[in-house]
Amino acid sequence: MSGLLSSGSLLRRNPRLLQVPPYLSFLCIAIGVAWLLLLPLDNYSRRTYISENALLPGQVHTYFAGSDQNVFRGYKREVDELVEKSNAEVNDKLEEFFKASGLKVARQKYEYRSAGETYSGENVYAILHAPRGDAEEAIVLLGAWTNVEGELNKSGVALVLTLARYFKRWSLWSKDIIFLITADSRAGPQAWVDAYHDTHQKGIQSLPVKSGALQGAVVIDYPFDHRFESIHIVYDGINGQLPNLDLLNTVVAIASGQMGIGASLQKMWQHKDSYKDRLTTMLRGMMNQGLGHASGPHSSFIPYHVDAITLQPFGEGWEDEMAMGRVIESTFRSLNNLLEHLHQSFFFYLLMQSNRFVSIGTYLPSAMLVAINFTIMAIFLWVKSGAPSTTNSKVASTDKKSGPLSIIQEGDAKALIPKQILEETEREFFLPLAVVVGSHFLGVLPLYLFNHTPEIMLPSVFFIFAIVNNIFPFLISTALIRSFNPSHQQYQLIKAFSLLFLGMFLSSLATLNFSLAFLVGLLAAPLTYVQSFPNRPITTTLFVILLSLLTPTTVLLASSFYWNLGVGEVLKEAAFGWDVWGMNTQVVVWCVWWPAWVVGMIQLAGKPRNEKPKPEKAAVKS
Amino acid sequence: MNIDRRKAAIFGAAAAVRLLLFTAFPGLPDLLTARVEISTPVTSFKRLQEGLFLYNHNVSPYDGGVYHQAPILLPLFSLLPSSATYPSFTYLLYILVDILSANALMKIADSGEAGSSKHYTSPRKDKKWTSYAIAAAFLFNPFTIATCIGRPTSVFTTCAILHAISKAVMGASFTSMFALSIAAYLSMYPVLLFPPLVLLCYDRRGPKKESESVYSFVSGNVTAVVGFLYSLLQMSSIITSSWEFIESTYGVQLLLPDLTPNVGLWWYFFIEMFDSFRNFFLGVFWIHLSSYVGGLTLRLRTQPLFVLTMLTGVFAIFKPYPSISDTSLFLAMLPLYRHVFPLMRYTFLALSTILYATLLGPAFYYLWIYAGSGNANFFYAITLVWSLGLSILIADALFAVLRDEWEVGRPEMRGKEIRQI
Repeated sequence: MSGLLSSGSLLRRNPRLLQVPPYLSFLCIAIGVAWLLLLPLDNYSRRTYISENALLPGQVHTYFAGSDQNVFRGYKREVDELVEKSNAEVNDKLEEFFKASGLKVARQKYEYRSAGETYSGENVYAILHAPRGDAEEAIVLLGAWTNVEGELNKSGVALVLTLARYFKRWSLWSKDIIFLITADSRAGPQAWVDAYHDTHQKGIQSLPVKSGALQGAVVIDYPFDHRFESIHIVYDGINGQLPNLDLLNTVVAIASGQMGIGASLQKMWQHKDSYKDRLTTMLRGMMNQGLGHASGPHSSFIPYHVDAITLQPFGEGWEDEMAMGRVIESTFRSLNNLLEHLHQSFFFYLLMQSNRFVSIGTYLPSAMLVAINFTIMAIFLWVKSGAPSTTNSKVASTDKKSGPLSIIQEGDAKALIPKQILEETEREFFLPLAVVVGSHFLGVLPLYLFNHTPEIMLPSVFFIFAIVNNIFPFLISTALIRSFNPSHQQYQLIKAFSLLFLGMFLSSLATLNFSLAFLVGLLAAPLTYVQSFPNRPITTTLFVILLSLLTPTTVLLASSFYWNLGVGEVLKEAAFGWDVWGMNTQVVVWCVWWPAWVVGMIQLAGKPRNEKPKPEKAAVKS
Repeated sequence: MNIDRRKAAIFGAAAAVRLLLFTAFPGLPDLLTARVEISTPVTSFKRLQEGLFLYNHNVSPYDGGVYHQAPILLPLFSLLPSSATYPSFTYLLYILVDILSANALMKIADSGEAGSSKHYTSPRKDKKWTSYAIAAAFLFNPFTIATCIGRPTSVFTTCAILHAISKAVMGASFTSMFALSIAAYLSMYPVLLFPPLVLLCYDRRGPKKESESVYSFVSGNVTAVVGFLYSLLQMSSIITSSWEFIESTYGVQLLLPDLTPNVGLWWYFFIEMFDSFRNFFLGVFWIHLSSYVGGLTLRLRTQPLFVLTMLTGVFAIFKPYPSISDTSLFLAMLPLYRHVFPLMRYTFLALSTILYATLLGPAFYYLWIYAGSGNANFFYAITLVWSLGLSILIADALFAVLRDEWEVGRPEMRGKEIRQI
């Protein structure tokens, strides 16, 4: 073993071996992408199953029917009356309803400021104390007054009111049930959950009444009056965190198994169980996870380790609101059975259909491979930067290969050659390290800029930044050449450090938010092959164009164009995410991806100092 | 004059960076104080506050079972205005301690002991970094900065150890032993540094003591350390008006009752342990830790400063409650051996491993504690990787120094590849 290790530096000099890493790192990217594309196949994904036996989904008879429909209609009419009313008036009325059902009611005002705008409102909630419990655990049923699209959640709120009244009649609850009606779907739930865990910011009221530890939350988003066909389940949390797969499985099992209602994910209204549909579902899921935004009111719960999902009925069918109510009743009965927090099943998964998933062990390698490609190149460049690059050494190293054992014996030939080959050239790594670390710190600038600019100025600030962004690396590069005149080795080291950091950040990120790490890794992949080509203007230009297309600003512009959103809107949403949800995607973009890109551009614009007359060094492919 | 200006510039910049971090991010100190990588049960600033509160209310600080630090810190911190109301005084104290450590480190670097000690002069000794670079590498090391912001009391130990060494290379054995006694008094484990330190003092002793034999020199210093420690402990018992602090401070280090996670290897092992084996393995772990002292001191008799460097590294891995503060001490000493760096073979690998672990550690801790989607094994796996990276670095540095020594006797082997036969 140690013999093998000690010959490591002999391997280092092997010219054939030094050819491998660039291809190897390309292979890593290719395999990483291919791996992801294989996942939807039957052999690589699995059918979902319930891990937590206590849940017993669909094992109980549901009684939510009959006269409760009349109650629902009554509440529905009352809610319709409130459409034009102000938040306070609505809450007065809702409070009255909850009190009439015999529940303890409380309210909470909140106010957030983000991108120069104020988001305020008032949440109202009621607690049903468990007849068989001791108020140590609670489940939340949430209906936001308006949903994510801003539509009035008419049937949803009416259903929450009906269920509150209905649940109160049962004596079998062993966990408290909290009925929460938030003023909106974005800020309200966050304010409530933050306050529930006493981590709320200024401007948000504390909760006057609380219950025990939250075990789960279910959100109803039912903004229309007509009957529906099936249920759309939204499950992505903030920063790509996901609820326990058991919760989702329970709802799917109850809806499709017990009630005969289909369940769909990621806005795939039609799912033919084909490879293409599975892949699309998975990619949409990854996109939502990667963006790390809140996809529904449930998202705010997930960072607090409260498993939560949103249920949205959709389509035209024959299922009525009572069926929806029964799904929720049965889900709550299952959650009521829980003996401990949901922990059995997966927290890291990609879903390709409501009953098919891949777990972390299967999909993680693809993001890791993409991240490792950077690390391989970094190690390779480090080794290369230490190797002397004279022709002398080439001859000598072939000599040496004839027999490694003979080294010791050629004692009298010691004088000149060996020292040159085996002793690595000194690496001047202070400047490269300063450049790379400096560019990472510089990332704080756009991060601060985009999170603190008022909404009206966001688009103009963005465009100015986008233009500056494309010129700025060249300025830095010129300044670098003027003042330090970096050598070829220093450029290699700049790249090595930059790629090392990038690989490191991305592989750490892959454990937290797989999709974001994968997306950023893919977009940054060309950086592996970027270097200065002083005598090849065409290659340089092509690379500059390619990199300009893959800079964070261009990608942002392109994606907002693709989704038909204004840049200002996207940035406003991002700032809102930063201020309210505690979203971290921006940090990754500006402090991990952008600095790596800047360093890549600096290299393209760089001119290594001429130390030796031979220009062939620059042509070495890496 | 020019020299002083450079020193002032480095110290000023280091202080400015720390002040900036303290003031620009007011949440940062408390955030870092709560990190297990920085604060251990025996060094945590939060626990110090608890002890201080009890002390100021005339309750024994050890009654709460939370405070496990030396009693002398209590009157020291009571002199400062409360850190809750006037945090800037605490900040300034910690910045000052860092700068004092850096100053001691510069003196060690300036002495040239690393390159040529009394019995051994490295053929490569001219290839070294200036003391400014070494001080800067210490002061701008992210681990040192994070430690300073997190305010654990281990910085005092670091400072005392560096002063002990710097006094030793200057030949002031008495002062050196005093500094060592303070370090040992604060954290106990530095007492293991005594053998190499006393040899360093002996090698560097002034012309007045030239004739003194090793034995009388060592016994004199042993007496000095025992005397200092005795008076420090006596003083402590007066401060807390009982001797129960011994059990709560050194007892905790020895017996490991608090199994809060940290970057070391002990906590997980002792969580998993059956109680009947606990005492046995406590003994094994402590013997393992102290066994390095004898071996390294004998083998590297000619370079006691390097033994000290190695031992700080070994402690950073194997001591009961290590933190990144111990690593920053090791990484501060290592650049003194710049001249053997070309002989090291796995620097890049070791440093990348350490960097990877630095990032993955907090990520996995987050998954375990906050997100709930991971478990303790995640974090422990990363502490293993962290320790692996550090041990590669230590072993590699040791290899380089031994090879450097070996090549003095076998000059024809310079630049040749080694192989195991």
